[in-house]
Amino acid sequence: MNETQTMNLTRRHFLANSGIGLGSAALAGLTSTAAGRDRDLFAPKPPHTAGNAKAVIHLFMAGAPSQLELFDHKPLLAKLEGTPLPPKIIGDQRYAFIRRDAAVLGPRFGFKRRGECGAEISDALPHLAEIADDICILKSVHTDQFNHAPAQIFFNTGFAQPGRPSIGTWVLYGLGSATQNLPAFVVMSTGSGLSGGSTLWSSGFLPTKYTGVRFRSEGDPILNVSNPPGVDAKLQRDTFRLIEQLNRKQLEKTGDAEIAGRISAFEMAARLQLSAPELMDFKGETSETLKLYGCDPVKPSFARACLLARRMVERGVRYVTIFHSGWDAHSNVEGNVRRNAKIVDQASAALVSDLKRTGLLDETLVIWGGEFGRTPMVETNPALGRALGRDHHPQAFSMWMAGGGIKTGTTFGKTDDFGFHPIENRVHVQDVQATILHSLGLDHKRLTFPRNGLDFRLTGVEERHVIREIVS
Amino acid sequence: MTHRNHKSRAAASLLFGALVSCCAASELRAADKLPSVNFNRDIRPILTSKCFACHGPDAGSRQAELRLDREQDAHAKRDGSPAIAPGSPRKSELFSRITSRDADLQMPPKETGKTLSPREIELIRRWIVEGAKYTRHWAFIKPRLPKPPAVINAEWTRNEIDRFILAEIERAQFRRSRQADNFTLLRRVSLDLIGLPPTSKQMAAFRTDVRELSFDKAYEKQVDRLLKSPRYGERWARRWLDLARYADTNGYEKDRTRSIWAYRDWVIAALNRDMPFDQFTIEQLAGDLLPDATLSQKIATGFHRNTMLNEEGGIDPLEFRFHAMVDRVSTTGTTWLGLTIGCAQCHSHKYDPISHHDYYRLMAFLNNADEPEQDLPDAALVARHRAGLKRAQQLLAALPSKWPTGKTNIADRFGAWLKRERQRTVRWQTLRPVQMTSNLPLLTVQKDDSVFASGDTAKVDVYELEFQPLRPGITAILLEAMPDDRLPEHGPGSTYYEGTRGDFFLGEFQTSADGKPLKIATATHSYARNRYGTNPVSARLATDNDPQTGWSVHGRQGERHTAVFVLKQPLGDVKSLTVKMLFGRHFASSLGRFRISVTTAKNEPVARDFPLDIERLLAIPDRRLSKIERQRLYETFLLTTPELVKHAKQILTLRKRPDFPTTLVMRERPANHPRPTFLHKRGEFLQPSIAVKANVPEVLHAFPKTARRNRLGLAIWLVSAENPLTARVVVNRHWAAFFGTGIVETLDDFGLQGSRPSHPKLLDWLAVQLMTPSDRGGMGWSIKRLHKRIVMSATYRQSSLVQKKTLERDPSNRLLSYAPRIRVEAEVLRDSVLQAAGLLSTTMGGPGVRPPQPRGVTEVAYGGQKWVASTGENRHRRSVYTFIKRTAPFAMYRTFDASSGESCIARRDRSNTPLQALTLLNDVMFTEAAQAMGRHLADVKQDDAKTVIHAFRRVLSRNPSLEFKMLLDFVDTQRARFKTNQLDPVKIAGQKENAVEVAVWTSVARVLFGLDETVTRN
Repeated sequence: MNETQTMNLTRRHFLANSGIGLGSAALAGLTSTAAGRDRDLFAPKPPHTAGNAKAVIHLFMAGAPSQLELFDHKPLLAKLEGTPLPPKIIGDQRYAFIRRDAAVLGPRFGFKRRGECGAEISDALPHLAEIADDICILKSVHTDQFNHAPAQIFFNTGFAQPGRPSIGTWVLYGLGSATQNLPAFVVMSTGSGLSGGSTLWSSGFLPTKYTGVRFRSEGDPILNVSNPPGVDAKLQRDTFRLIEQLNRKQLEKTGDAEIAGRISAFEMAARLQLSAPELMDFKGETSETLKLYGCDPVKPSFARACLLARRMVERGVRYVTIFHSGWDAHSNVEGNVRRNAKIVDQASAALVSDLKRTGLLDETLVIWGGEFGRTPMVETNPALGRALGRDHHPQAFSMWMAGGGIKTGTTFGKTDDFGFHPIENRVHVQDVQATILHSLGLDHKRLTFPRNGLDFRLTGVEERHVIREIVS
Repeated sequence: MTHRNHKSRAAASLLFGALVSCCAASELRAADKLPSVNFNRDIRPILTSKCFACHGPDAGSRQAELRLDREQDAHAKRDGSPAIAPGSPRKSELFSRITSRDADLQMPPKETGKTLSPREIELIRRWIVEGAKYTRHWAFIKPRLPKPPAVINAEWTRNEIDRFILAEIERAQFRRSRQADNFTLLRRVSLDLIGLPPTSKQMAAFRTDVRELSFDKAYEKQVDRLLKSPRYGERWARRWLDLARYADTNGYEKDRTRSIWAYRDWVIAALNRDMPFDQFTIEQLAGDLLPDATLSQKIATGFHRNTMLNEEGGIDPLEFRFHAMVDRVSTTGTTWLGLTIGCAQCHSHKYDPISHHDYYRLMAFLNNADEPEQDLPDAALVARHRAGLKRAQQLLAALPSKWPTGKTNIADRFGAWLKRERQRTVRWQTLRPVQMTSNLPLLTVQKDDSVFASGDTAKVDVYELEFQPLRPGITAILLEAMPDDRLPEHGPGSTYYEGTRGDFFLGEFQTSADGKPLKIATATHSYARNRYGTNPVSARLATDNDPQTGWSVHGRQGERHTAVFVLKQPLGDVKSLTVKMLFGRHFASSLGRFRISVTTAKNEPVARDFPLDIERLLAIPDRRLSKIERQRLYETFLLTTPELVKHAKQILTLRKRPDFPTTLVMRERPANHPRPTFLHKRGEFLQPSIAVKANVPEVLHAFPKTARRNRLGLAIWLVSAENPLTARVVVNRHWAAFFGTGIVETLDDFGLQGSRPSHPKLLDWLAVQLMTPSDRGGMGWSIKRLHKRIVMSATYRQSSLVQKKTLERDPSNRLLSYAPRIRVEAEVLRDSVLQAAGLLSTTMGGPGVRPPQPRGVTEVAYGGQKWVASTGENRHRRSVYTFIKRTAPFAMYRTFDASSGESCIARRDRSNTPLQALTLLNDVMFTEAAQAMGRHLADVKQDDAKTVIHAFRRVLSRNPSLEFKMLLDFVDTQRARFKTNQLDPVKIAGQKENAVEVAVWTSVARVLFGLDETVTRN
């Protein structure tokens, strides 16, 4: 079922059952600034340029996966294991836990060249290795922050302190929504709790309506989307209808357009109550698809979130972020990578394959990566009971992208033999943001919001660039 | 940031200006036909964004010795023609440069990437023609008391406010509105002043008063009642707490709980007492600096302790302290000055005359404080502790009777114990340092020769102390880690984040004599425990040359602990002894108070877990011990001997000093240890440059010569009558609370980019009145007087019904020709619903409470903590008392646009969303309230019609009219379904008893809670 069919079905269902869907038509005659303003907030808006992507699925690997165990193969580190790095490489970098003279730790996994493109991917990611030709690996990403909360906030909002709009809200501000039945910016999470907290999907100084809506893995997918105990469909419908009628009386009396806005918000709420369960119902998915993701249709998991993300994108959701926390490998980096790869590898690869198979990959940008990288040096600390770990490393880390017009089967950027500094095609986190926007047809320099006389933008005050080499 | 073209905003303000002078709309929109050029509106933004970078206040980057930010410089004669020749663009060098096509002459230079649009060039041309006058921005000029204007319909006006408002309405040939109906007005003023609708009882009293007195008198009586209600402070505190970015957690990753609710309660109490705003300001910014500061005044300084604290492992604490300082400066700017001072953190302000230097000079005022915790007295706790001590004494007396039978006789064991401990006892001589250095903390010697560390502490701190003269033959060194009330959890460590507060981590303990390193043979400690699992910590590990391993005392803060380091070789006759201690792990964790002693004893002393006086008694021979002293030793034996460990534990627990509640406060640093403030290049922590001295922005009134340059001086300066901003900013925020929009729409920006006041004279009148002492007829900074003046005005009392024509001509109601309808704030909504349901608790103050909310809200944040809902009345306390977790705010508040406490908020959004609809209908709290109201209505046992009326009054403070029949139909339909069991009434009612009726009225309550009118102040 495609998006229009779903929408028609739910709308028809809704109209037939509640009779309150007529509201917007009745309201159309009323010049209403507030309702108009609300409509404008989510009305589809033309992009700045013809973009490829209509939607983004961001698989955010919170905690920062080790690039040295996954994508950035550094055989030299194995040779140097146990000795410190040359001081000139480290410079005056501050570290969270380790000392600058900590010894090198060699890669804990083997690497092979994969696919026709020959990209190097470690043995920890066998499923991703299968689709190496469908992704673009970035090996030279760097960030300004070396602690989790600030770095996650930086990646998601372009600023290290809470308070700025998150990228999903910027995209809604730029493009509006393509669905009337679901929130346009959805956030899911698996694994342990998130360092950055709710500021990672907040709207900052943009209208609060853009705030990402969290789909929970247990209980109501959206807060309060289910009726209270005992309330059946008819009672809920009667309640909606009576509220609407009473609100309409008030609207007639006062002429306050805010009431028209509230009536349409209640309509959307009623639609959400129908579309959310429909979205969560995996009956229409074949067992082949479920197997592809490795997903139990009822049990919350990263795999289920990935499949849900595809279903959302199909239904017009603009921006989906799935946070998976757990990559913070201060100790036993090998075990950490093995454990997390087991959770995310198959489903991440499946998402790309599935989108490709259903023809959605061209218009869906998939991003995979964390907030920073991990040190080539080992983290060992007897007082903390840590051994064979890696500390935070902001200078260089790896990510991958797929779909949305990104050139696939490519590897972009290169780090030095220690995996410490990028030596070719450095990519700043804000360049990644510019590229995400570009893929959606948004120019990061033009997507600005006026505040206190300044034009704020996601990518901040420095000169940032779309990674031209990887976009078509 | 790129600069913005302000055409639209300029056009908007033009539009408004024209609207009030009632020109034809077609003329207004013709932006080409600009009226006379206004320097502040039209020219200053061009100069600021295109010229000042090289020809502005910043001398460092100034080119060609030309300043264009000051009139005298811009007009000054120069070699050749002046930059600006008033009246003559042709003779003005500036004009020929901006119109030049010669790449060498052209301004702004091509390489800057800045260009002037033809419109901007035309504006500058006309400005020069008109005389090129520079005028100060209105908000930087001290307000004077304007005379209320004359109006035609004077009989409509009730006070001066109305004259200012009506004059504009009449000028625009609009019609003012009639007064709102009685109960709409009562509900409005009640929601506005106390954040709750009137109760049925209050409505009845009002009805009687209207009948018996006059409406005006009855209304005033209600206003006075509301201003006196304790609910008033709770309502207005919430708005202030938005500015104060109050929260109950630290923010960032760990987002642990903090205790600062006493500050929140202080705000509520101060507002209820109507503390004058100048005093309110002074106490919050500098209460600790007032002479003989009271506890309450210290608690008030929590205002700037509401900054976030990053406890993430591995951060640089000084970096995040800097971020907190940045927040303090910008919050001060927004709250009192209405200026976006924060913009000058990285570079001089683009628009407002606030330089990069101004910013850090302002920071210097606030930057000289330490940030301790303040114990709060708690009489009940003290009484309980006292009773506990008494009980402990009794238990101690009975302890010998617990001696296990069959074991060695108690007296023999005591004798053996005494013998052993005496053998281990040595005489310690405390040493007073002659010299002390540290990387950052200030070390000061105390009377008892101990050392106290204050000021900032870093991730790695190194203390180096030198002692002399010395006795020959030193064999061992004693390190006492001592508790101190000034330290977190009373020390002995200064750990304040991430680790166990009050703990320390001694990574290395090194000594040398006359510059020669000494070898340590053994090291023992009285107590050692790691916060992180069973990984070892010990005094021994502090001597292993690995700073990652060492000694800490997790779990027993507030006590004295010791470590003894025995030297490999006794010292000979040395001149000086140096002790070097290195502290810190992945967080700052140094010792806050400690003492060094030495001994010449040869019996290899060990560290013991005895109090100091016991150590002393053990050194005294038996025959010289008094009876009491011997008893002390005996008790110590009883409390430490393995045979009685279980019983002793109970006594030790009872003796433990009570954990008083605490709050976060400011404390000015000692005069000998000021914290320097630096200019930070590009606003970056890692790029400090020159040191700066505290001062106020140059564009504002001067800082008095005789005033102290500290927080107190700053606070007094902020509320000085000379300040053109504070009073205006304050009255404007309050105005916005009553009218939805400020007189200046940008509540947080009175600078050049802020919006222009809709009623500038009214703003000035209110501001001057607010500042004028009451004995001279003013309000004397009384906010309650300000509020009364506003709600008594005819302007406020207008009906919110609006003509279509009015809507078209003044869609945002800037003329206030009718009362705005405003969606109430999250907290007001919740409290109102709880009151309607009869659930609202009126208990005030104390730690934050956790009302029920759906599962899964807090679990998403770091640590995945569950939100365990409070029980009993704490579920239904006023919303201002809800526990605020920054990284996972209370869902219903967030849905209704409440702030999260992450930054200073002067104005909340008022959104209108589907998630709000879902919350109103389905949220657990609303469901609980609907059931409570259902029970109440079912109990009324009147006919349906009367019950509907009753329900309506409870929720909407009025009688139903047209809605009546629709509700009755709904009642009939649902009752039939419940009766026939098409619907399970028990589930909906939440109870078996009288389930059908309770379910029916619960369903009605759900409808009422979902109405627009319920969430709206009409």
